[in-house]
Amino acid sequence: DGVAVLPAPQNLSMQSTNMKHVLTWSPVIVPEEIIRYSVEYQGEYESLYTSHIWIPSSWCSPTQRPECDITEDITATVSYSLRVRATLGSLTSAWSTLKHRFNQNSTILTPPGMEITMDGFHLLIKLEDLGPHFEFFVFYWRREPGAKEHVKVVRPGVLPVYLETVEPGAAYCVKARTFVKAIGRHSAFSRTECVKVQGEALPL
Amino acid sequence: QEFQFGPCQVDGIVLQKLWQAFWAMKDIVQAQDNITSVRLLRKEVLQNVSETESCHLLHALLRFYVNTVFKNYHDKAVEFGILKSFSTLANNFFVIVSKLQASQEKMFSTRESARRRFLLFYRAFKQLDREAAVTKAFGEMDILLRWMEKFNQL
Repeated sequence: DGVAVLPAPQNLSMQSTNMKHVLTWSPVIVPEEIIRYSVEYQGEYESLYTSHIWIPSSWCSPTQRPECDITEDITATVSYSLRVRATLGSLTSAWSTLKHRFNQNSTILTPPGMEITMDGFHLLIKLEDLGPHFEFFVFYWRREPGAKEHVKVVRPGVLPVYLETVEPGAAYCVKARTFVKAIGRHSAFSRTECVKVQGEALPL
Repeated sequence: QEFQFGPCQVDGIVLQKLWQAFWAMKDIVQAQDNITSVRLLRKEVLQNVSETESCHLLHALLRFYVNTVFKNYHDKAVEFGILKSFSTLANNFFVIVSKLQASQEKMFSTRESARRRFLLFYRAFKQLDREAAVTKAFGEMDILLRWMEKFNQL
């Protein structure tokens, strides 16, 4: 192969958004050769009690792409060590270890996408499916002075959600945010969306 | 989910993940346990535990599992190819122990009765051959998970 020593992958980095965790690194380039990578991890328990043992990641032992979705391997809210090495035939590089341990409680939580719809006089909301970790707190109110704000907790997978029976001529507003129990954190609120109900306002 | 063991609160544990990890290895683990006449986590250990006792008892049991059972079962986990499930349970037990640690230290009232319950488990463990005891304790984690479920604050 003309390669005496295979360089170790560089620039390891973690991108974690909405509890989806992806490890990336700079590809190892050997002209006209296919490089494969293997990713391994250790939780806090392993680091403390069995530090010689590393666990192969579910999807990237091996992989040809310079990235690895380790979401399924992160199954506790502890800090994890991650490492990668390159392989070319019988040649293997040294391991490169992620500089800072990763904990899922550092994931970036984005405001949820949502769509407000009407079904007759029923106000409905459809929420972005972010996976089993996510609950949604939906706040809704009638747009008038002194209106009371209501909140509804939506569990994963329940779509669309009935919010309220509305009155003709009135306007209603909705905003939502996510909550992840595994890490005890909320996202920021989505933009507030308002809808005007068709028809004449009912006489008082 | 959120668990309330008397005054001790534990959140951030997704029990479903622990169950999935245990189910993935249950058959291979429990098949190794040949002493069917003995149960370490028997009724006297876990039944009728008061709320305040539960924090001490769980802390003692899980600390024992982390420091002794998992530690001594690790090579078998490698041998049986169940490292992922093992890691999920070990790291989550590790989290629970650290979360219980602070609050259970401040409580003294029910510590002695919880200790007596733990000693029932520990003496039964010590009466068995070391490897058999570790195998049995590891296989009894479903009893522990089922007991913990009762303290889940839905």
